[in-house]
Amino acid sequence: MFEGNWKFIAAAIIACNFGSQAFAQTQGCISLKSVPQVEQEVVDANGKKTVQLVTATKVVPGVEVTWTVTADNVCKQPSDKVTINNPVPAHMTFVANSATNNPAADIAYSLDGQTYGTADQLTVQDNGTTRKARADEYKFIRWTFKAPLAPGAQAVAHFRALLN
Amino acid sequence: MKSIRKFGAQSAFAVVCAFGASQAFAVGVPAGTTIDNTASVSYSVGTVTSTVTSNTASVTVAEILDVVVTVQTPTVPVAPGAAQQVLRYRVTNTGNGPEPFHLVMNDVIAGDQFDPVAASPSIYLDTDNSGTLTAGDAAYVAGTNDPLLNADAFVTVFVVNDIPTAVADGNIGRSSLSAAARTGTGTPGTVFAGQGASGTDAVVGTTGATAIGTGEYLVQGISIVATKSQTVVDQFGGAKPVPGARINYTIAVSATGTGSATGVVFVDNIPANTTYLPGTLTLNSVSLTDGADADVGAFETTPAARVRVALGTLTQASGNQTVQFAVRINN
Repeated sequence: MFEGNWKFIAAAIIACNFGSQAFAQTQGCISLKSVPQVEQEVVDANGKKTVQLVTATKVVPGVEVTWTVTADNVCKQPSDKVTINNPVPAHMTFVANSATNNPAADIAYSLDGQTYGTADQLTVQDNGTTRKARADEYKFIRWTFKAPLAPGAQAVAHFRALLN
Repeated sequence: MKSIRKFGAQSAFAVVCAFGASQAFAVGVPAGTTIDNTASVSYSVGTVTSTVTSNTASVTVAEILDVVVTVQTPTVPVAPGAAQQVLRYRVTNTGNGPEPFHLVMNDVIAGDQFDPVAASPSIYLDTDNSGTLTAGDAAYVAGTNDPLLNADAFVTVFVVNDIPTAVADGNIGRSSLSAAARTGTGTPGTVFAGQGASGTDAVVGTTGATAIGTGEYLVQGISIVATKSQTVVDQFGGAKPVPGARINYTIAVSATGTGSATGVVFVDNIPANTTYLPGTLTLNSVSLTDGADADVGAFETTPAARVRVALGTLTQASGNQTVQFAVRINN
């Protein structure tokens, strides 16, 4: 029944962007990809247990997800002032200090997407008094890479968030 | 959760103990929810600044299977041979997705003195939400009307037993209710792929997706009854309850049934807008001092103004214990 239309359908499927986990978005010179992972205990042939990060698809509340963002320079010129911005996903809580083990970038946070500051700088109004914002209140994370990104090089940013 | 056992009756006017029932909360974002994450990057090449967004990476929230059973009536006093006695339980879905639960009652439990007999039917759902077993409540039939509970929702369940006749005062018989998630139970972390809400995975939570509560029936052959009457004498020789008039209270306390009630204490609050008349407290016509001393009666001011008389052990043969005291209506 589908003989005549088969080629058309096959072409349509190939053109669709299924499983957006696997495909990066490229515009201009940067190819940007985001991947969620969770820790899984892996036992090797000798019975030794190690913890590895595996791609996450279905996650139960209470589990921490590690989000990794990679930026690849696909042009022949260096890219300057590379700045990655990641909102803390809905229904998730940012895990304190989980974004900062990256000496190549300065980290800043924001509660509203407008004002950014370091963990020491970011404040919030609470019942008329100003206090330091807590990590679980952060809504956006920004990595500003200090050095230009060379052609063919990759900048990496990652953080952990707890599924509520 | 405390289970309180009393071998003997409490006074009809004393305040009864409070039962601690743990509050159970569902965990987490609803099962089946999709969580998206899109990052963006800005960069400059020469003088041109550009922004790129990433793919939208998603995770789906899996379903946690968890359940808690609490006993709402830990100890129910019963008479020997009584039929259709009821224990009340609450089954709460503490997971994050809707789940039907399989209920089972068990009355053969070690550590008690008799086995309550399962009535037929032995499990009811509180269909009319009245909190007591009524004609409007549906009998539970496993596999037919397993309660389907949303996350955080609970159902009240009644377990019904008959009490054997060959039991003695103070004997305890236990009867439990267990609930298990229909999707599956087991070691926490066990995954039932694709069997969660919206086709996500279902994962057994920390409760193992099964829980049990155990209540007990306490054989109590004796019951205490107190009957109160009053007469009013006003300062003009009449019987009008005017400010300044005196009210004489008479309370007859008696025990009916088999066995004995120990540690019976009569307590009665002084009514609002009246003041206790010192020296008026008597038991069986014998005067009792107001202070706390060697005799069995006292007038107390904490936690409220009240009279208290210790009546000791009462049996049906003890007959009426008559307590009297008087108050004056405040001006």
